[in-house]
Amino acid sequence: MAEAPEKYQQTGPKVKPRQKEEMVYTWPFLVSIEAIMAITMILAFALMATFVDAPLMDMANPDKTPNPAKAPWYFLGLQELLLHMDPALAGVIVPGAALVLLAMIPYIDRDRRGTGIWFSTKKGLPITIFSAIYTAVIEIALVLVDEVVRLPGMPEGSYRISATVTYLLEQTGLPTAAVSWVGSIFIPLVLMIGIPWVLAVIVKRRYQANTREVMIALYTFFFTSFIVLSAIGTFFRGESMHLVWPWELQPPQ
Amino acid sequence: MSLWARFKNTTLYKSIYRNEYPDTPRNQVLVILNSVVLHLHPVKVPRRAVRVSYTWGLGGLSLLMFLMLTVTGVWLMFYYVPAVPGAYESMKALDTDVIFGPFARNLHRWAAHGMVIAVWLHMTRVFYTGSYKPPREFNWVIGVVLFLITVLLSFTGYLLPWDQLAYWAIQVGSNMAKVTPVIGSYVQMALLDGYDIGPSTLVRWYTLHVILLPLACIALMAVHFWRIRKDGGISTPIPYDEDEEEQEELALAAGETNE
Repeated sequence: MAEAPEKYQQTGPKVKPRQKEEMVYTWPFLVSIEAIMAITMILAFALMATFVDAPLMDMANPDKTPNPAKAPWYFLGLQELLLHMDPALAGVIVPGAALVLLAMIPYIDRDRRGTGIWFSTKKGLPITIFSAIYTAVIEIALVLVDEVVRLPGMPEGSYRISATVTYLLEQTGLPTAAVSWVGSIFIPLVLMIGIPWVLAVIVKRRYQANTREVMIALYTFFFTSFIVLSAIGTFFRGESMHLVWPWELQPPQ
Repeated sequence: MSLWARFKNTTLYKSIYRNEYPDTPRNQVLVILNSVVLHLHPVKVPRRAVRVSYTWGLGGLSLLMFLMLTVTGVWLMFYYVPAVPGAYESMKALDTDVIFGPFARNLHRWAAHGMVIAVWLHMTRVFYTGSYKPPREFNWVIGVVLFLITVLLSFTGYLLPWDQLAYWAIQVGSNMAKVTPVIGSYVQMALLDGYDIGPSTLVRWYTLHVILLPLACIALMAVHFWRIRKDGGISTPIPYDEDEEEQEELALAAGETNE
């Protein structure tokens, strides 16, 4: 017997054809929830504003650079990338591409099935967990490797994958200008495209993922990257942006 | 007749509230239709969509943060001077001389962080519930732009206190934008109004922060909310395809006979 086509293994509530949604009045069923949430949040923020002061340091002084100088926390993921690759790549191209790719999601995944259900399919949550672990492990490993890698013979004070690649290629007699892009642009690009690419291939093979499930894997990659890189930038980068433990961080002067 | 009941009978009260307290179906409909704030909602909503565990109220909380930031922001604007060193001095004055000054500044700061987080989590909720799927594609795009505007609002506000934290965070942030391929020097000029952060940068970012970006945000929020309704309201599971249902039953039946 021919194999039946792969079913859309939707999870959660199943709506029968022509079944009407059960509706409730907005007042009071929704309005009351909104009111409770709003009041709770206003109270929580008012309490925080009463007891926790917003930071205010000395007046800006262009001649006194703090070490480390850090961007606002939501940019620390990008600042983390900045340590490992060309600034144009980390600071402009990656965030720009991320926003464009995010906006493109609904134009790639056009299947309406799975709407309105957390993780859509039975495989959705396992794929999310797998993708999050995959992303976190690889990115933490790469950050650690990039912090310590250094070949004997390299110039004093130089380290990181990018510098090591440049050093190795220089041994072949190529000029520095010609080879430095390999480490700072080519390898980071290959990694940043390759890691999600391999993830998509794995979930397709291992979970027979459909388009929606591949999207879940890729969004999880993006979401986890943001959290992992921002957390490293916030809690693990100390003087001269070297890795430190959170309890060794000096509060900004 | 109590005083309150009598008041409710006056022309004044009736001119404000067109309907009785909403405890009958008719008035529960009218209260939504007659109120400018409540009419953003439909009269009825799907029962499954009002569960907190479905939306976590994140879209509404994003709006709430925006409102809190508007109120506290106006309070701060009364005292803030976008100049060097006036900006920093007004921060100091806010802490010592202004009633509710520290409270308003703290609330503004924490709500700003809260809004970035709320918008970010809202986007994540919408993604994982598949709520970007057709016909809601374009509202997702508007949402991505709103996320960008939220971050830009926070980032432009970050410079305004003109302390070391602000100055060097913006230095790091704008150095990233400076290296944009091809148009980097134009981006730098547009952002900083010069080669480095200075008094004219402060005026520029202040203007972006208090008028241009909030207006853009309000305009896009209006479209965002409007389109939620036009795209069919809050997302709910779509009915199963009948053919698929049939196939599934057939497959089940086949499986049973095989065993």
